[in-house]
Amino acid sequence: MDVLGPDYRRDLEIRRYPILVYALVPLASLVLQAWLPRLLHGYVWFDLPLVITVYFALGRRSPIQGTVMGTTMGLFEDALSNHAIGVNGISKTVCGFLASSVGVRIDVENRTIRLVVIFLLSLLSSAIFVFIYRILLGMDLDWNWWTEAFKSVGNSLIALVLFPLLDNMQVRD
Amino acid sequence: MEPFFIRYRNPLVLLVILAAQIIGLAVQVRRTPSGRDTLDPRDGPGVRLIRLWAEGLVAPPEQLFHGSKLGAMNLWQDYIDLHNVSQQNKDLQKTVDRLRLEQASLLEDAKEGQRLQTLLGFQQKYIYKTVAAQAIGTSGSDQARVFYLDKGTADGLDRDMAVITPDGIVGKVRDVFLHTAQVLAINDQTSGAGVILETTRTRGILRGNAAGQAQIVGILADQRIKPGEKVLTAGGDQIFPRGLAVGVVQKIVNDPDRDGFIDIIITPAAHIDRLDEVLVITSTAARFSPEAQQDMATSDALKGAEAAAIRDQKKASEIMAERLPGLTDPNAPAANPATAAAPVPGQPASATPAPAAPPVPKVLPTQRPDRYSPGSAAEVPQSTSPAPKPKLDKPASAPGAKSSSTTPKKAPGSGQPGTPRRNP
Repeated sequence: MDVLGPDYRRDLEIRRYPILVYALVPLASLVLQAWLPRLLHGYVWFDLPLVITVYFALGRRSPIQGTVMGTTMGLFEDALSNHAIGVNGISKTVCGFLASSVGVRIDVENRTIRLVVIFLLSLLSSAIFVFIYRILLGMDLDWNWWTEAFKSVGNSLIALVLFPLLDNMQVRD
Repeated sequence: MEPFFIRYRNPLVLLVILAAQIIGLAVQVRRTPSGRDTLDPRDGPGVRLIRLWAEGLVAPPEQLFHGSKLGAMNLWQDYIDLHNVSQQNKDLQKTVDRLRLEQASLLEDAKEGQRLQTLLGFQQKYIYKTVAAQAIGTSGSDQARVFYLDKGTADGLDRDMAVITPDGIVGKVRDVFLHTAQVLAINDQTSGAGVILETTRTRGILRGNAAGQAQIVGILADQRIKPGEKVLTAGGDQIFPRGLAVGVVQKIVNDPDRDGFIDIIITPAAHIDRLDEVLVITSTAARFSPEAQQDMATSDALKGAEAAAIRDQKKASEIMAERLPGLTDPNAPAANPATAAAPVPGQPASATPAPAAPPVPKVLPTQRPDRYSPGSAAEVPQSTSPAPKPKLDKPASAPGAKSSSTTPKKAPGSGQPGTPRRNP
């Protein structure tokens, strides 16, 4: 349990980033999420806004900030689609809240744990999306869990590369 | 003791935000008369405001990315990769010429169709004006088949305008902003277009299914509908003009909701996942656009010039054939123009090259005649060969007729009984 439990110093540590990173990285994730599928001919096996939400939620360790971050990213994703505003918003709100809540209790420096967290939260996000679409809205939605599993793996791989890069941008004392 | 709201502020904030979003969702969904839940295609003011913010935030960087990519591609294609461009140019010019001739041949039919439609009081809409636009981004989700264009209200775009490519229809403008527009592809579940099957003339509504396939829904089962049949726009939806290509029938499946009905899965003619440039139909009218009329006039003129060129070429061939040494008698009397221009009975003169009666060469007198020589006494009697009057030449106005230089000449003595001959 040493890996899962943070020590006291790390428990108090809250990652801080320059304001430009807070502004530009989420924006870049939204832009790339909208632009890259054109190059990949419709194969959208990743969810960059979710990866960024989880990253900042884990680092900030504040459930409220994680919630707001997830809500904002999800609502913007919805606004770019023809979905009802709030489908992605709700799923990413929950993911942001959970990621920041988990971040208080586990060692977020460990890469393996990060990958497991992002993988599980990706699946959870998909499950919430399906629940809202089919149950709350009562609309038809084709769903393939293999696709969602691939998407979760894609998110984990992106996190594997992206998280260390973003770690280098944090403000150190 | 810690106050309740301080102690549970995190879950409370979560619940408040979730509740607000759920209420927002409830406002956006409506129930159709058929009892199904669907999204309101017309966004409310609040929803539209959020979409406007998102578009304003994401579209400029997207346009920047897309512009950079286009710039790099143009630099490569326009200045570096010019291999075979000249040959491609020639090929394209040939294609343009051929298409112009085809267009000219169809022009009269089109004009007649217009006249008849006017008489019947039916207003056929033609594409009058289009705006070319680049696809710059997507929704980012594989559940929403929408994409963004780099043109908006400033360029004359508006909601519900048809978006097409030369291959076929793509979708319609769902939402439009100042410099961008959101296009709903035909394979989205919320789209709809009136279509007709080309052969069976079965009409239906095209929309996307949950798997992202375009399908015609609610068709009565018909054995005549087969995979491979072309699908065209029907023109009844007030968005897509009639007769545009939609795709081909891929397969036919039973309607899961109604017995005796089928759904037809379509393979779209346009490559919806690989779009770069599209055309937005900003205006339709009951007449041809000035550009189209100019094209047709050019085609007409080109058709005349082409026909003249063919006549000149034929004349030159005939002269060349006359001057060639060998089998042709230069002193033989010229063919009767009336006979030459006479069409084959029962066939129009302008359209029939009369291949059944090839011209007979004028045979020169032989040096040492024998019984097989033309005109000798041992020749087969004329009475036994009721040969038709020899057709010496074909009418010059017959398009596509082979010139005399390409007609194979018969060797002396190879004539069969009944073959028309000319005595020297």
